[in-house]
Amino acid sequence: MQRSSWLGLAFLSPALIVVLLFFMVPVVLTGFFAFTNMSTATGVKGGEYVLNASGLRALADAGLPANTLDQIEGAGYRVDAGGLEALAAEFGQPTADEFGKLHAGEVFTKRRDIERALKGLRSNPIRKTRDRKAAAELFKRSMMNERFPTLPAFEAALEEAKIPQADRPLITKVAYTGWVWTAENFGFLLSLESTWQYAKNTGIYVVFTLSFNVLFGLFLAIATFYLPAGQASTFRAIWFLPRILPPVLYIVMWRWFTWDTGFISTVLSSFGVAPKNWMLDTEFHAWTTIVLINGFVGASMGMIVFSSAIRAIPSSMLYASEVDGANRLQQIWHIILPQLRWPILFITSYQTMSLLTSFEYIYLATDGGPGGATEVWALAAFHTALNNYGGNLQYGLGATYALLLVVIGLMASLAYLRLFNFRNLLIKPRIEG
Amino acid sequence: MRISIENFTKSFGTTTVIEDMSLEINSGEMLALLGPSGCGKSTTLFAICGIHRMNSGRLLFGERDVTRISSQQRNVGVVFQNYALYPHMNVFDNIAFPLKVRRDSRADIERKVKEIADLVHIGELLHRKPAELSGGQQQRVALARALVREPDILLLDEPLANLDAKLRLEMRSEIRRIQQQTGITAVLVTHDQVEAMSMCDRIAIMDQGKIMQLSSPKEMYEDPSSDFVAGFLGNPPIAFLEGVAAEGGMRLANSEVTLPVPVAINLPDHGAAVRFGIRPEFFQPDNDLKIKGRISFVETQGREELYDVTLENGSVLRSIQSQGGSFKLGDNVNWGIAGDRILAFDAAGNRL
Repeated sequence: MQRSSWLGLAFLSPALIVVLLFFMVPVVLTGFFAFTNMSTATGVKGGEYVLNASGLRALADAGLPANTLDQIEGAGYRVDAGGLEALAAEFGQPTADEFGKLHAGEVFTKRRDIERALKGLRSNPIRKTRDRKAAAELFKRSMMNERFPTLPAFEAALEEAKIPQADRPLITKVAYTGWVWTAENFGFLLSLESTWQYAKNTGIYVVFTLSFNVLFGLFLAIATFYLPAGQASTFRAIWFLPRILPPVLYIVMWRWFTWDTGFISTVLSSFGVAPKNWMLDTEFHAWTTIVLINGFVGASMGMIVFSSAIRAIPSSMLYASEVDGANRLQQIWHIILPQLRWPILFITSYQTMSLLTSFEYIYLATDGGPGGATEVWALAAFHTALNNYGGNLQYGLGATYALLLVVIGLMASLAYLRLFNFRNLLIKPRIEG
Repeated sequence: MRISIENFTKSFGTTTVIEDMSLEINSGEMLALLGPSGCGKSTTLFAICGIHRMNSGRLLFGERDVTRISSQQRNVGVVFQNYALYPHMNVFDNIAFPLKVRRDSRADIERKVKEIADLVHIGELLHRKPAELSGGQQQRVALARALVREPDILLLDEPLANLDAKLRLEMRSEIRRIQQQTGITAVLVTHDQVEAMSMCDRIAIMDQGKIMQLSSPKEMYEDPSSDFVAGFLGNPPIAFLEGVAAEGGMRLANSEVTLPVPVAINLPDHGAAVRFGIRPEFFQPDNDLKIKGRISFVETQGREELYDVTLENGSVLRSIQSQGGSFKLGDNVNWGIAGDRILAFDAAGNRL
């Protein structure tokens, strides 16, 4: 390789690093998280094994035999070193020593049996019933609420509790507090009714906002094209303002505009209309606001791109159509619009992709409200993974939403390429000029 | 259809391009607007088709005043310099466009496009896109599109400028043939004097927004009204000799040589500046009005040879001769000017 090529690579490397860090890694991580059940509860590191009341309920729901459940929950009494130590502390070393000699390692399933064994000690019997009960409790061994740091320890405990072999995998799975690999997220998401609601919301959001963006952008571009230059640039500058406004400020102004003490309410109150929150009072108003908020920003971009594309049309071609007898509308329809095919494709597909994934304006304006009516897919992913009302952030589930969105985006772009006959657009003319 | 331009003035912002120009173009005539770039010839053309509005003056097509009528309503066919074909339409749709926006019936469109395509010999290319055509073919499509709705007037804006030399020759006669076949009134804008002379019935030669002379090509060549016209027409171009009027003729500048002048020319008072224009074909070895010089440049053009002869005072005369002269660079020669063919101009450039 020539030195200059190395130099090129060196110049490229910052861009490559940025692409890797801020694009490739997040995508790969999303794919990775989507196949886990990570959440705040599991943490992102490994976990322990513990069975608690809710775990037991889950096991019961999963159809674990009642017998086994009793075995987990119900107390067994095992004569082990710990128990003997405790016994020594309470009732004296000789008692403990004798009990250990007679029964070490034995397991009594019923309290009566271990009490009898305690009573049966020859030299140091515990005579009082109440004492025997207390002593028996010292040997009570239940798996409930006990933390096992490793899998072998948990398996040993299961073995000791004589849990039937067939039930152990399920119990182990429920008992594990860390995250595990799973493909169940996808099926689970698709089974949720709310998922389909998000899909529908996203469809509404993208279709209406996109139509507004492209059509209004086109209208502005064509209208300003026919205006005198001074007026045209004034109009373009005005329509460009929302884009250069900080998003938060832009949304705050919209909220003031629609607030129940805001502009609309104030103006309408003088006509006797009761004040209300015009953004959030109905789903229709919420959607209208969302589409307008996004549309005014999006249309400015379409306007700029379309304007420059129209100005790139050779003026002789427009003159030609005029002397050929075409009026303004015919000129727009037959000459300008066909030549805007490529920019329209670009804006449509670009805006589809960015609308599919963008939720910042919705988040700031309605936060998915009222009642989830404007909760779009990307916002749902954000809420699930990073801003959950319940407090349990479900990273895995959120990542699954995000991954599905990536797949949808890819399919949408393929559909666009097909629809606009991309290859034809890029075909080279056979003869120059 | 007759075109009358009366007192036409056009300015862009503060720059006045054309001031108070009047021009009459006869019905069925092909007229060339010839001039260097920036002379206002294209502006005139665009004013005729309505792309530019006139600042003042009147424009009449026949008896109809079209000054305030939009270009859509003027029924003018225009061929643009870059052809301005619609790249997203195939040849058929390009030609059919003027009919389509007029909402002709589909059968009519089909028939007329076929007819005109046959006239310009592109009948077999109708399904192609402009990008798939050669320059000459694009040119024919542009011509067909301009002619298809049978316009009253055909305007051609430098139609041959983008073609190579061979194709230019071919299209020159082609356009003339079609113009004559259709009998349409045509205006050709060009900066190429050969094009203007070979294709047109009359030439209006323009400079700085003014028509310098309006006459037939032959008349303009032989009888130019100013040194600008004489210098613009002719290839190789005319050579000028500077001097002052003196007893019995013109005394060349920085020289003792005096050229006698034909009686037809009225010289100004003695001492006034005079320019003589001598075309290369009238400076030949056998002519009578001899003048001495040295060959300073030889150019072989195939059938002919072009010589530059530097006179003793430093001025240069050109001579074009048939092959076979044995003259070489640096030869001292004593060739003659055809005295009755001298074109004399005064200090302002007007013909004497």
